Order: sequence, then structure tokens, then C-alpha cells
Amino acid sequence: MSRPLAGPDTPGLAALVGGLEVVVCCGSGGVGKTTLSAALAAAIAATSDRRVMVLTIDPARRLATALGMSGIGADPVTVPAARLREAGLPLRGELVAAMLDQKSVWDRMVERHSPNRQVARRILNNRFYQGISDAFVGSHEYAAMEALYELHEESEYDCLVVDTPPSRSALDFLEAPERISDFVGARLLSWLARPSRLGFHAMNLAAAPLLHIADRLLGSELLGELGDFVADLQTLYGGVQQRARAVSRLLRSSRVGFVVVTTLEPAAFAEAEHFVAKLEELSMPLRAVVVNRVLPGFLTDEAAIRAAEVLADHRGAQALGRVLDVAVDPVAAASLGRSHRLLSELAQRDARQLTRLARFVDVPTIQVPLITAPVSDLEGLVRVAAAL
Amino acid sequence: MLAVEVDAKGDLAEALGHPPVGFRPVVVQRNLSVIALHPEDSFQEYLAIFFKIPRFTRLTPLAGVFDFVATGVPGPRDMLMVGKIAHEERRRETDRRPVWDLIVVDATSSGEILPQLTAARSMRRLVRGGMLGSQLDFVDAMVTNHRKTALCITALAEEMPVAEALELHDEVVEHTEIGLGPCFLNRTLASVSSPRQRRLVELLADAAHAQAAAQVLGDGVEGLVAGVRLADALNRSGQPFARRLAARMSVPVVAVPLVAARPGLATTRAVAASMEGEG
Repeated sequence: MSRPLAGPDTPGLAALVGGLEVVVCCGSGGVGKTTLSAALAAAIAATSDRRVMVLTIDPARRLATALGMSGIGADPVTVPAARLREAGLPLRGELVAAMLDQKSVWDRMVERHSPNRQVARRILNNRFYQGISDAFVGSHEYAAMEALYELHEESEYDCLVVDTPPSRSALDFLEAPERISDFVGARLLSWLARPSRLGFHAMNLAAAPLLHIADRLLGSELLGELGDFVADLQTLYGGVQQRARAVSRLLRSSRVGFVVVTTLEPAAFAEAEHFVAKLEELSMPLRAVVVNRVLPGFLTDEAAIRAAEVLADHRGAQALGRVLDVAVDPVAAASLGRSHRLLSELAQRDARQLTRLARFVDVPTIQVPLITAPVSDLEGLVRVAAAL
Repeated sequence: MLAVEVDAKGDLAEALGHPPVGFRPVVVQRNLSVIALHPEDSFQEYLAIFFKIPRFTRLTPLAGVFDFVATGVPGPRDMLMVGKIAHEERRRETDRRPVWDLIVVDATSSGEILPQLTAARSMRRLVRGGMLGSQLDFVDAMVTNHRKTALCITALAEEMPVAEALELHDEVVEHTEIGLGPCFLNRTLASVSSPRQRRLVELLADAAHAQAAAQVLGDGVEGLVAGVRLADALNRSGQPFARRLAARMSVPVVAVPLVAARPGLATTRAVAASMEGEG
């Protein structure tokens, strides 16, 4: 199925997703996802009277400062409307920014689902727990989804715009709720938990070879300690499973929309293709694709390309010198010609990628032009917001 | 030489002109092989070597062990990746020569590389006994041996990539024994702002010379000037970050030019040629 790329009559991204309760921005690392999430939230707050929160993961320091956030774990801050108005974006609604505090999200999850305070304390103080909550595959992703769910349940904001973590596999966060639930309830963990309670002799025969290997690998002291931890961890299973199902339901509901952010650089673009396919496979609602840093169309102008080719040739430089009646340095002329050629080749690649994109997505595609200055202040953010 | 891909996306083999490869090294160019690592394959090989356990299917209880190891506590997962690389480094031909003279790893992102490289040491703090202990020591010794292993940080001339590169650099220098190789500043644009270049752009942009310039360059002069000015603006916007990187890094920073061609062998050769030029 194909759909033409966004033209002058296509509504902007803020109009497309601004009525939703949750907007999840996803894409591979380095495509400008954090900046676009913040700009989208600002654009929604500018075009509606909604209270919008942008939950960011790891914004560039100057952008974080511009939004009024000073450090990870900081409380949500309201971006001053006057400051945004000065920067050229008068708000109708309200813009609040917050950063994900992964550790506290995990700790709250343990406290919520533990059968009692004693078990919660034991888990929180356990050295294995520190490792799991910091670096479990998907822990960051799970924390982002859990935080999103908490904020949505609190209903303090009309619209949540969520910047997703830069993942090893950028898709991890989509399956994070199920994965964490599977992990906590894994059968192997049950086997590990049993020896500490029943002793090695009482356990399932099928588990014996596994524990034998684990014992040889790790040593019995560590294995016992791990068993105790797993026994505590499994008391969380029911609650975690229930929560994972609720998060999963929310992500598939009509109140939520996914926005895939990409550039036209081949690796990021390939990731975006995977993203679109994965969202469809998981029945998660894709609302738009944002193509960031699109090179201007004038770079593909054929007359300019021909001019650059002539300039890159020393005979062209000499001829130019004669007609202009000045000395033209052929080396300088060639480098200018090559610079233009490089950008025009990139712009031609971009044009091909955009045609390809139109073939595989059936949602609006929003193009954000390349901005040469780094987006590190509210003025820069407003420039991006205007494109949305 | 062995090139190692750790996320098994197939990009590395394709960049070397070959279809994606699997867990066994495949010769893709003369003297150059590629392998794609995956924790499950790594774990199966580990069990086969040290426990004589044949390959298992997803239906056996060992598949559950894999799920725990590969998606559970991060240390084991990272160890399976680094451990396989250490295993390849240790491999010898029958005449005792190393199988590989050099192993180049297309590693994970800068935010995730240190937990992977320090996984052996982190796990050693937990594992006091068992056969794993000595294996962890071996892997840690390889990673921290400056004559054997160097971490090459790669960045772009943009705010976040440079900030992340410097953060990783400082972390490596201050908190690990891992050696650093040269840092690569990727996708750099050539400067077009020398006095001669600027003078020529001004001449071409000057309406008084438009007609004369068009005699040689045709009617694309305006577009040409706009393109060159954009290249200049892009180059300038990256310069403060490139300077910051060079000033703060304790190792040389090698600029790698932006190449517009599609990923593949031609692009790889162009990038390789530019690195040879850097000497």
C-alpha cells in the first residue's frame, strides 16, 4: 500500500497526534528522536489547550538546560510559557518536561508487587537486583514503559509524549513488558529457587543436570545466594504479569499512537523499516513517520550538478578564470565542485529513500528539513516544532 | 584477519561485499573473514567445548537456560560475546601460529560497550569459585592487555555523539585498565572556507559576473553556490564539536570523510583509502 508524502495540504504532526493521550516516538539512535519528541510536545501545546508532558530519556545537556531540566531524576518541570513565546512559540496549553529515572521506576515496581515490606527490602538491597535493574536487557525499555503507564494512570496530563531509549535493538521496548514478566516467571528461575528451599535432592529431575552445570560454573556458594534472590523475585510474578498485560493493552489501544522517527541515512532508514513492520506485527498503532534532516531539493537540480562537474575539472576552472578575468585556483575550484557533488549525491539518495518510504508506509510522512545549527536552545526547538 | 559483528544485523558482511554470515567465520575477501556473534550460538558452543553437551533445540530445558543467560542478568550475556572473541583470539593453527593476526570488532554502542568489556571483571567479583573463575580471568586479561586490545571510539561532529564519546573516553581512562586506540571522527565534510574558496564563491554569487560564469558553468551557478554554502554551513556547525573532541581526547583523532555511496564494498574501500591517506 502506498500514500503520497506529506504535501502542503497534509496536516502537521501535531494535528495528527495531538488528540491522543500517549504518543510514543521511536527510532534508532542518533536520528534526533529526543529533540523531535520535545519539539512535538511543544507543537501540541502550541496548537491546543492541552497539558502536555514530554518524558525524555537522555537529552543533550544544552537542550535539557533549555527545557529547564538539570539532571536525571529531576522532578517534572513546566517550561515557562513566556520563554517559549519569546522564542516564537506562544502556547495555548502547557508544556511540562521530565526525564526518566530508571532506578526509581524499578524500585517502585518492587515495592508495589512485593508481598510485604520485608521481601521488598531484601530484593532492593540484593546485589543481583542492582545488576538487573541497571543493565537487564530491556530494563531501560521496561522502565520507560512503566513510567509511561504510571503517568497515564495518574491522568495529570492530557497528552504524554514519550521519547524511547536508544536500545541495542531499538525495538526492545515494544516487547519489554512481556519480556520482564517472562523473566521474573521463567521456569529456570523456579529451578534455581527450589534448592535453597527444598535442598538439591528434592528438586525436579529435569533440573538436576542444569544445576550441576550451574554448580560447576558458578560454585555452590554463589548458586545458593542466587537461589535465595530468585525465590524472593518470584513473589513479584503475579503483580508484574498483571502490570505487563495492562501496559501491553495500553500500547495497543486507540488512545496511543506511535511515531517512527528516522533519517534517510541507510542504517537508520533500514531500522525504521523494521520498526514499521514490527509495529504492524504487534498491532501497535503507527500514526506517522517523521523523516528528519532532509536535504533541500535544490541539491538535485541538474543544471547545478552539471556546473559542479565543470568546476571540479581543472579545464573548467581555467575557462572560468578566463571569462571572469581573474586567477581561479583550480584546486579550490575542484574542492567546491566536489563538495556540491557530495551533497547532491546525498540528496539524490534521500529522494530515492523517500520514494521507497512512500511504498511501505500507509500513514502520513512528515519531512523535517536539515537545520545546520545544532538544536540546543528553545529557539532551535521552536524551529523544529514549526516543521511539525 | 577476522571482522566480528556483535548485533548480527548482517551489515558488516555486506559492507565487505558479502551476504550476511552466521556464527562460523566466512572468508569474504582475501585474508579477511567475517563472523556474526549471537549469544545463543555462543552459549551452545561453550557448552559443547566445556561440558560436551551437543547442540540443543528450543524445545529442550537447555533452551530455558539460554533464555536466562541471554536475556537475564547482563554479565553472562556480555560474557558470551566477549568470551567468544577471546576464544577466537586464543585459537592456534597446528603449527601454533595464531589463526587470526588481527580481530576487529564492530562493537555495541558507546553507552553499552563498557559493561560488555568489563563483564569478566564484574562477574569475577561474584564468582569466587567454579571453573568459570579462571575463564573470567583469561577474558579480563585479554581485554586489559594494551598490547592485545585497543578500544577505538567513533564519533560524529555533533553535540551528543561528541559528548558520549568524551564520556566513554573519561570512563575508560579513569575507571578501567582498557587501552585506547585512535578515535575516529566519522562522516566529516571537507572545509570549503579557505580564502581562495571563499573568494571564488563570492565571485560566482556576484550578479555582475553571472552572465560570464554561465558561459562556462551553464545556468546552474545559483544552485551550485547554494550547495557549496550549505556544505560550508554544515562543516562549520560541526567544527566546535570536532575541536572539542580533539582537545579532550588523550589519543589521536582521525577524521574519516563522509562518503555518499550506498553501503557496500565500494564505500568501504573509499573509507579505507582515506584512512591509509591519514597515515
